[in-house]
Amino acid sequence: ARKGVAKSEQYEIRREEEEMRSQMSCHSLKKRAVLTTDSGNCTAEEASESEAENSSMDEGDDEEGSHEESEVEVLDEKGFRRTQEKKISNVKQTELKAVEDEEDDDVENLLKEEEEFEEKIDFSADTAGALKWKEDLTQKAAQVFLRQQQSTPNLRKLIYGTVVEDEDRE
Amino acid sequence: MARKGKCVDFEASFIRLIDKVTNGSRIEINQTGTTLYYQPGLLYGGSLEHDCSPSRGIGYYLESLLCLAPFMKHPLKIVLRGVTNDQVDPSVDVLKATALPLLKKFGIDGESLEIKINRRGMPPKGGGEILFACPVKKVLQPIQFTDPGKIKRIRGTAYSVRVSPQMANRMVESARSILNKFLPDIYIYTDHMKGVNSGKSPGFGLCLVAETINGTILSAELASNPQGQGAAVLPEELGQNCAKLLLEEVYRGGCVDSTNQSLALLLMTLGQQDVSKVLLGPLSPYTIEFLRHLRSFFQIMFKIETKTPEEEHKGGEKVLMTCVGIGFSNLSKTIR
Repeated sequence: ARKGVAKSEQYEIRREEEEMRSQMSCHSLKKRAVLTTDSGNCTAEEASESEAENSSMDEGDDEEGSHEESEVEVLDEKGFRRTQEKKISNVKQTELKAVEDEEDDDVENLLKEEEEFEEKIDFSADTAGALKWKEDLTQKAAQVFLRQQQSTPNLRKLIYGTVVEDEDRE
Repeated sequence: MARKGKCVDFEASFIRLIDKVTNGSRIEINQTGTTLYYQPGLLYGGSLEHDCSPSRGIGYYLESLLCLAPFMKHPLKIVLRGVTNDQVDPSVDVLKATALPLLKKFGIDGESLEIKINRRGMPPKGGGEILFACPVKKVLQPIQFTDPGKIKRIRGTAYSVRVSPQMANRMVESARSILNKFLPDIYIYTDHMKGVNSGKSPGFGLCLVAETINGTILSAELASNPQGQGAAVLPEELGQNCAKLLLEEVYRGGCVDSTNQSLALLLMTLGQQDVSKVLLGPLSPYTIEFLRHLRSFFQIMFKIETKTPEEEHKGGEKVLMTCVGIGFSNLSKTIR
């Protein structure tokens, strides 16, 4: 009977461990997701408005809007002009706060040139970069978890040698 | 034998001690003193005395006796003579303050569990004498000891033999100058032994013990250089360094201090068939080798998890050791 108790205890430990593992992987998944959304946002933003970067970064609320905007861009390529104009007006607003002394027309022209120039790159970055992060998130999370596992030294292995690994899996 | 050469005097003395506490051991050392044949006998115990070699501290012998004493046939009551405090082995003071409370956690308890320092002896000549008594237990309790808690108080002993009694006071003063910044509840006893109780060599030293609210005991100690070896040590310096060592030990933390890690792991192994858990600080090299020995003798491997303290100001990395006891019970003790 004693042995049975001990065994069940062991099982409990193992189960605990498994639970912890699953929790950890969940956690890292979330972390990863948060990270990638951030970076995705950045690529869309940075590529399109390199000059207005500082002002847009300052305004946290702007981030969400611009992200949606970029998605709209992808959807209707024909309304290219419209989105661009919309964007410019958006940029203008932000820019106005940052640079008040400069004349509006000049800024607009400058921005227009840059926008047209960079828009093509933006599209490719959008499709290749912004959507890429959504691919196989679970796999990425698993990889991150494994990397985390390897970075902390396995004391058991250090103490008992490699023999333990095989017994662990059984 | 650890050394390439021969069986050294303190090892010979240790073998004789083992011969004394057991019944029916067969020990053979070859002529060159390079191989040892040992056929174990029964742990017998009883009232004994033993002269330890002065080249190692009594702590060297006492550490092993602490592992064996709970499993004797008769309660062990042994007088050990030799060096009570030196720079190599854990001193008798530290073992008294740390190992005995640890044994109590495993259910090894009773009035007779004690270490008493009758005489102090410093190296190189020794001349100290202690009494170690331990009750016997049939089975050990498993422990769940994973939360050390915060430090409650600091106690200590500053001892001096055959030097000015002021030495002890100077050590206390300097140790307090550091420790008082952290908590007020500090009491360091001064212990100046005279005449025949002071052994054969002069010296002084300090043992500090930090106790937490959950009964974890962490220790640190330092002793002066033996007479005629190395430069003279200032008591102020020694006191400060010892206080810093204690802070270091607190940083390492865990529920068992680094001197007693292996004792705790052994008693966990020998416990009932139940899960024991203990949180340790970083494993000492001695403990790591000890874990390998535990595997080769008992086929037991601990589950080892590293715990990084998530809160700030909680010290270094901790290790959670888990095992299921092998269900060892004292064979010599008859069931009533």
